[in-house]
Amino acid sequence: MDYSRLDRVRRSATPMELDLVENFAQGKITRRQFINRATVIGLSLPAIGAVIAACSSTPPAASAPAGSPAAGGSIKVATQRPVSIDPVGMQDLSGYGMVSQSFEYLCTLNKEGSDIDKGLATEWTPNADGSVWTFKLREGATWMKDGSPFTADDVVATMGRLVAAGNAGLKGVIDDKSTKALDASNVEFTLLSPNGNFPYLVSVFNPQSVITPKAYETGTTLDADPNGTGAWKMDSYNPSTGAVFSRNATWWGGTTPLDSLEFLFFDAVGPQVTAYQGGQVDCIVQFDVLSGEGLLTDANTNVIATRASTHRQIWMRVDKGQFVKKEVRQAFALSLDRPKMIDQLFKGRADLGNDHVIAPIYPYFDDSVPQRTRDIEKAKSLLAAAGAPTISATLHAGQLLEIPDLAQLVQSQVAEAGFNLTLAVEALDPFYANAWCPSDPTTKKATNPPCVLAAELGIVDYGHRATPDVYLNAALKTDGDWNSSQYRSPEFDSAFGDFQKAIGVDAQKAACKTIETILNEDVAVALPYWYNYLAGSSKKFQGIYSSALGQMFLSAASQVA
Amino acid sequence: MTRWLLRRLVLSLITLWLLATLVFIITNILPNDVARTILGPFAPQESVDALNERLGTNDPLPVQYLRAMRSLITLDFGNSFQSGKPVMPLIIAAIGRSGLLAAFALALTIPIAIFAGLYAGRHRDQKSDRAIVLFGLTFSSIPEFVIGTFLVVVVGVQLHLLPVLATPPSNAGPLDLARFLLMPALAMAIVYFGYIARMTRAGTIDVLESDYIRTATMKGITTSQTIRRHVLRNALVPTVAVIGVQIGYLFGGIIGVEKIFNYNGMGQMMLFAAQRKDIPVLTAGVIVIGIVYMLATLTADLIIAWMNPRVRLETH
Amino acid sequence: MATLAPTVDIRSERAQARRESRAVLFRKPGFIIGLVVLGMWAFLAIAGEAITPYDPFNDFAKGHQPPSAEHLLGTDRLGRDVLSRVMVGARDVLIVAPLAAILGVTAGSFLGLIMGYYRGIVDDLVSRVVEAFLSLPVILVALLTLVVLGTSTLVVVLVVGILFTPIVARTVRAAVQSERQLDYVTAAKLRGESGLFIMAREIFPNVLGPIVVELTVRFGFAIFTVATLSFLGVGIQPPSPDWGLSVSEEYSNMISGKWWPTFFPALAIASCIVAINLIADALQSVASE
Repeated sequence: MDYSRLDRVRRSATPMELDLVENFAQGKITRRQFINRATVIGLSLPAIGAVIAACSSTPPAASAPAGSPAAGGSIKVATQRPVSIDPVGMQDLSGYGMVSQSFEYLCTLNKEGSDIDKGLATEWTPNADGSVWTFKLREGATWMKDGSPFTADDVVATMGRLVAAGNAGLKGVIDDKSTKALDASNVEFTLLSPNGNFPYLVSVFNPQSVITPKAYETGTTLDADPNGTGAWKMDSYNPSTGAVFSRNATWWGGTTPLDSLEFLFFDAVGPQVTAYQGGQVDCIVQFDVLSGEGLLTDANTNVIATRASTHRQIWMRVDKGQFVKKEVRQAFALSLDRPKMIDQLFKGRADLGNDHVIAPIYPYFDDSVPQRTRDIEKAKSLLAAAGAPTISATLHAGQLLEIPDLAQLVQSQVAEAGFNLTLAVEALDPFYANAWCPSDPTTKKATNPPCVLAAELGIVDYGHRATPDVYLNAALKTDGDWNSSQYRSPEFDSAFGDFQKAIGVDAQKAACKTIETILNEDVAVALPYWYNYLAGSSKKFQGIYSSALGQMFLSAASQVA
Repeated sequence: MTRWLLRRLVLSLITLWLLATLVFIITNILPNDVARTILGPFAPQESVDALNERLGTNDPLPVQYLRAMRSLITLDFGNSFQSGKPVMPLIIAAIGRSGLLAAFALALTIPIAIFAGLYAGRHRDQKSDRAIVLFGLTFSSIPEFVIGTFLVVVVGVQLHLLPVLATPPSNAGPLDLARFLLMPALAMAIVYFGYIARMTRAGTIDVLESDYIRTATMKGITTSQTIRRHVLRNALVPTVAVIGVQIGYLFGGIIGVEKIFNYNGMGQMMLFAAQRKDIPVLTAGVIVIGIVYMLATLTADLIIAWMNPRVRLETH
Repeated sequence: MATLAPTVDIRSERAQARRESRAVLFRKPGFIIGLVVLGMWAFLAIAGEAITPYDPFNDFAKGHQPPSAEHLLGTDRLGRDVLSRVMVGARDVLIVAPLAAILGVTAGSFLGLIMGYYRGIVDDLVSRVVEAFLSLPVILVALLTLVVLGTSTLVVVLVVGILFTPIVARTVRAAVQSERQLDYVTAAKLRGESGLFIMAREIFPNVLGPIVVELTVRFGFAIFTVATLSFLGVGIQPPSPDWGLSVSEEYSNMISGKWWPTFFPALAIASCIVAINLIADALQSVASE
């Protein structure tokens, strides 16, 4: 350990940075976690390098490229048919994937696909307590439509639009006065309360936070007005068949090896796998294990498997209906055979869920809460104690990936404890509108509080997030926008507040321990697993990387010669 | 002739109007918030209200009905709920693609079925006749998607003879196109063979048993050429009628086939619209297919009238 | 001047004809085969889980195992025994389809009787509506309606039944029209019987033949339609082992070589419909002789 180098960094570090460096020096977090967190809080690269160098002897090896890249060519990508390609309003992974080809984020995805990296912002630094963040913007980025330069005004306007639209990631974090352009290349965010994870909320992990130009009108879809600062320009878009992008010659990142991209739209994963295996497409944006088993063992396929926080929540109404009593909800959770589910649905490619939303991939995940396992006897006794030895209910679900199969497994597993479930599986859009968070039928407005008309019991999907803020805020906080359980716990709300204010891994971990314990005990939602996000591409191509949110990055992709 | 044609036309239009009314009745029982479905659960309430205003979902029923009738006459069904794009161009393109597949299927079926029907009719009650009838009977009662499944398993997966998905590359020539579309077309052809063959057979039998032919044969006047011409002309009358009706069923069966083979035609579009409750697309699709059916039966009737003058002069 | 005697003659003649037809029917090989196959599925639908080798809903083994000694038809993607699921899959189809067929034939016969007997304006008006219904493929209208009303077994039965009504009505109408001209009807009218009486007591028993044939044919079409609707996802819902649903859940796995979870339910559908059509065809040929 080279203490002199370490001290130099320590002296100029803010309290947040200091805490992080200490944790790494003491071995409390891994090097990888350190690098990730350091990037987030804006520690400069030289500082990071210095710390790592100080604490180790061997420098990290540079990775050599696989094959020799050939220039030019096109790639065919299979993707689920997008529901919306409106940058502010989109909600499906396919839409995110489309839009992120042309529009970019302040913090983009790193090449490993695991964390954030410099995008339209090249530096970001917090103040002492993380309540004010200053972002330095990239110079030389231009809008592909008219060549006008990208400036801080665009960022300010974009943030204003997101606030007006009630963006789930930024709600309660910033308001319409938070964003200020210091000059053409610097933006300052004054947050409503300190938040150590803010850069993630304006990154690829908050998909709607793509930067749109100042004069952009909310509701304009990508195909109505093809624009953006990104590597690809949209040439054509046909909602029935697919979309074509060609190289943006004025992109700040240089010339892309490939000339064009062709996206083909499908309505289910099965045909995508069939098309891929038939050689009709070169890569798939997302597939699930049951449909794409063959791909996992295919010698000619690169499988991008991201250990992610993608999960399913089985929500239960805690305010009315048959699941009001905590014992009933716990009994339900105790009837689930999670390892078997993971084996059947994912062939092992998933992490166990413990009925709380802190994923094991987060550095502040606390593993002291005992993992819940299947215990039918205990479930039965809990139900008996609650005075309801049998419960008949309807389990709602949407048709997405493995969810219909999960519903069938859940129905079978909980039957042993005395739950007689009827399944109601429907297409995703009507499911969201009718079972998950319906609007008020008489006034036809959104309900207040949100989701108060949700079904008694249902399964909903959550995409990957690099931090659990969105899950905690929207799904579980009192009056959260996605709170279909109508969970109202002052203890939880306060623990969440502690988490948000926490600075440093230790404090966040302590806050998470409280959160995990409360959620595991209350079981507002049963969370069976965190599954790996799977994407696949043919070995004829290299340099493809993908987020676990449907955004496939092809700007460095090339054909293998 | 023109009076008959006019009468047929008027009847068709009345039927079309009844059809549109039926569709209107079905779609307006729909109990959901249209704008909320389009914009999603998180959109601000003001946007939802504004969109509902714009779509006119809050207007009284008679107003909505008149609007529906006007869109029927102008063939403008508005914009898709899903994509916001005008519906008609999407439908026209999709029907074009489905039409291609349907035409291919009919091109496969009709010559073979007619030939088989004629053959069976002339060799009545012999082994070949029984075989043809049995084959037609069996396969016409099996859903197209089931036949499609068998074809995929046997021809596609086990024998690797034909591509499993009907998605030809954009630059495919006619031969390539035929290769990709052969299996789905075959799935439909096998099912429709039965109806057409049996109709032709029945028509052939009728003609062969008619007094005129019998007398002529007894007198030794007729040549095989005369028989063939006369038989063909009259045997085809019920066949053409059946084909006209089949066009309607074709578009129903095509949904299953398009799903199995992932063919981006009318069937897939309707299925997708049904799942997303995209009412404009569904309405337009159902009515356009109704129009196609009407044109098909009208054409069939015209052909029959041309072939058989007696029909024209008959009063209903 | 009609008397009772000729009417009785016609009736007893017909009874005799019916007895003879039955004998001929049972000598037709198609009829026997159809009856045996249908009987087998009906038996399986009733016996259900009692005789399946595995529990079709809760017994999860290893997924996608090919046919073997343990699992004669293999397992599906979640590890459920395909043979057990195919056996129990008969139940939903053989409940929904006959109900829809009976509904359609009942309503259609009623309509056809009225249209055929009264003719005139009633017939004209109703015929126009019937034609409108007929101009649409059943599948598409069923799709639209099921989307609007939501899918449930009841809605499926209602929709398919109502959509069959016009076709049955047309057939019954034609049969009624040819009966209407016969002497016994004129005799009843002269006697002063009401229209309702004539339709119910005089005409109806004599069009029973075509109605029975129509019922059988509609039964076949009902299975066809219900299976297709389940395949499209708007019919019978999971976790039912319904054949059409099973095909739609597994057909995309065929290209990876996993053909058995799709092939056997499809075979079941085909066998059921063919059996019914063999029966219907035998009935029809006997009725027309």
